[in-house]
Amino acid sequence: MDTIARHRQDQRPDTVLKVDSVVTRFGQDVIHDGVSFTVGRGEVAALIGGSGTGKSVLLKEVIGLLRPTGGTVNLLGTDVWNCEPEEMNALRRRFGMLFQDGALFSSLSVAENIAVPFRENTNLPAGMIPPLVGFKLALVGLEPDTGRKTPAQLSGGMRKRVALARALTLDPEMLFLDEPTSGLDPINARAFDDLVRVLSDSLGLTVFIVTHDLDTLRSIVDRVIVLAEGKVIADGPVDTVMKLDDPWVKEYFSARTHVA
Amino acid sequence: MDTAASWIQQEVENGTSVLYLTGAWRLANLAAISDALRSLGLRVSKNFVLDGSRLQELDTAAGFTLYRHLAELGCTQTMVSVRGFDGRHERLLALVHQRMTCPPAASKSVHPGMVRRIGAATLNVWHLLTAHVAFVGSIALEVFGLAREPRRFRVSETASQFETICIDAIPIAALVTFLIGVVIAYLLGIQAQRYGANIFVVDGVGLAVCRELSPLLVAVIIAGRSGAAFTAQIGTMKVQEEIDAISTLGLSPIQVLVIPRLVAIIVALPLLVFVGDLTGIAGGMLVSALQLGISVTTFVDRLHSVLPMSALMVGLVKAPVFAAFIAVIACRMGMQVARDARSVGINTTSTVVQSVVWVILLDAIFAVIFERLDI
Repeated sequence: MDTIARHRQDQRPDTVLKVDSVVTRFGQDVIHDGVSFTVGRGEVAALIGGSGTGKSVLLKEVIGLLRPTGGTVNLLGTDVWNCEPEEMNALRRRFGMLFQDGALFSSLSVAENIAVPFRENTNLPAGMIPPLVGFKLALVGLEPDTGRKTPAQLSGGMRKRVALARALTLDPEMLFLDEPTSGLDPINARAFDDLVRVLSDSLGLTVFIVTHDLDTLRSIVDRVIVLAEGKVIADGPVDTVMKLDDPWVKEYFSARTHVA
Repeated sequence: MDTAASWIQQEVENGTSVLYLTGAWRLANLAAISDALRSLGLRVSKNFVLDGSRLQELDTAAGFTLYRHLAELGCTQTMVSVRGFDGRHERLLALVHQRMTCPPAASKSVHPGMVRRIGAATLNVWHLLTAHVAFVGSIALEVFGLAREPRRFRVSETASQFETICIDAIPIAALVTFLIGVVIAYLLGIQAQRYGANIFVVDGVGLAVCRELSPLLVAVIIAGRSGAAFTAQIGTMKVQEEIDAISTLGLSPIQVLVIPRLVAIIVALPLLVFVGDLTGIAGGMLVSALQLGISVTTFVDRLHSVLPMSALMVGLVKAPVFAAFIAVIACRMGMQVARDARSVGINTTSTVVQSVVWVILLDAIFAVIFERLDI
């Protein structure tokens, strides 16, 4: 607790995520060729790009799951790829990650899934955990009754909400979402977007979304970062990026507008 | 530091209770905060004002604990007002207050009694057995369907299954039976040598390997190797909705997945048992030559006169029956997988356990039958 508290007090930069000239190579394939961008506190930023441009790879590099070939990642004041294991563990408690299909532990009930971070990372008395779990479920708009179900019994939308509740258990400062609305119907997708926005506004969360969903971009995102051919080709508010003179960006936004 | 005063203070201003929140109201301090709240001994008599002007930090867990405590005292939403919080904390509190309207029920885990658990387990076994029988029925129906339309039989799938079940398993089956042949010959040899009855080791090894050991061991190996693989393959396909896709394309999952495996394993197991017979006897032969002074020619000669054809056949007849049980259990457990990763593991384990138990049970039944028939 002391380390966490210290981090919080002496490091309050306005930039919470700084990706600096990240290079990724898999054998001969160059995935990222010097990717740099920053995300400020309280921002809701989205990363977009065509298939195979390495969005998910970049996300893994940012949260410390996959080491980039070169470059640095600074997340919440910690150099992710150049720090002590204890620092990394302290950092892991300060951000939450929502995996694409939820990645709920299938052997645990919904309530137990949400209780995992409480049990593993805090020393709360056992009696205090169930009410908190119930509250986290309510926070993401689920009935307390959902806690008794197993992940296999949930619909796709509910699974994402439970995964969001699990990502939010330790009240992280930053939340990473990997394709949060994929596989959801438009109504559920919009409801999920609204939920993310409400939570980020109320809790002062910084949110970093990897997404394909144009509606998500239009409704809740402050800033868009476009990844193409291993580089960031655009970075700015949605309206500005939309007007950009780049073939991929043009096609992306026009294609989706027609469908919508 | 962990006293009530460091987290919350109650002051009365103009007849209203004002609760001043102090310090870092965070998850890490939740136990202390909770104690502080309780030791404050609040009573609901009038309205409360929460003052956040001395607050440093606030998160949802701490906000929830505060509101929950007030709610437990009987405070309604209207009785609590806030002031002096910075914008972010005020929004957080508002969200917490709004979302916690329904008091979350503590999930009670039910611990059923001994009798109930025995009953449930018995019923489970019963359901498992009846479902296996039903599955055999649906396989039989599909087999009849195939008999009418033989060209729907999947030859190449069956052949590829045969390769993995039989050809790929030859080394392991040969190794295990060879070692068992060595062990049997060695142990028998120690006893036989005392009476100068070395040559009877040949009788013992031949009969034991061909009649019992080779079929049993090979069946257990195949149950662990191919039975587990069947369940895992079919189970994973179930998780990925591939089984549903097969049905949607107008195909029968039993015809596509189960029958090729069933046929392949029924053909493969007797062949593997025969390989096991040969290597088991070879193991016995090796020990006899090195340890007991029985030359290879003498061994073969003796084996020829003492090992009846029926002993070999008994072993080979048991094999397809074992195979059919393993295939039916394995395929059914695969089909029965629920849509999550964990259940693939559980069902695979269950397949191996059930198959091995059935193989041994069937072996015992066969022993009784053959004894009655004087074979």
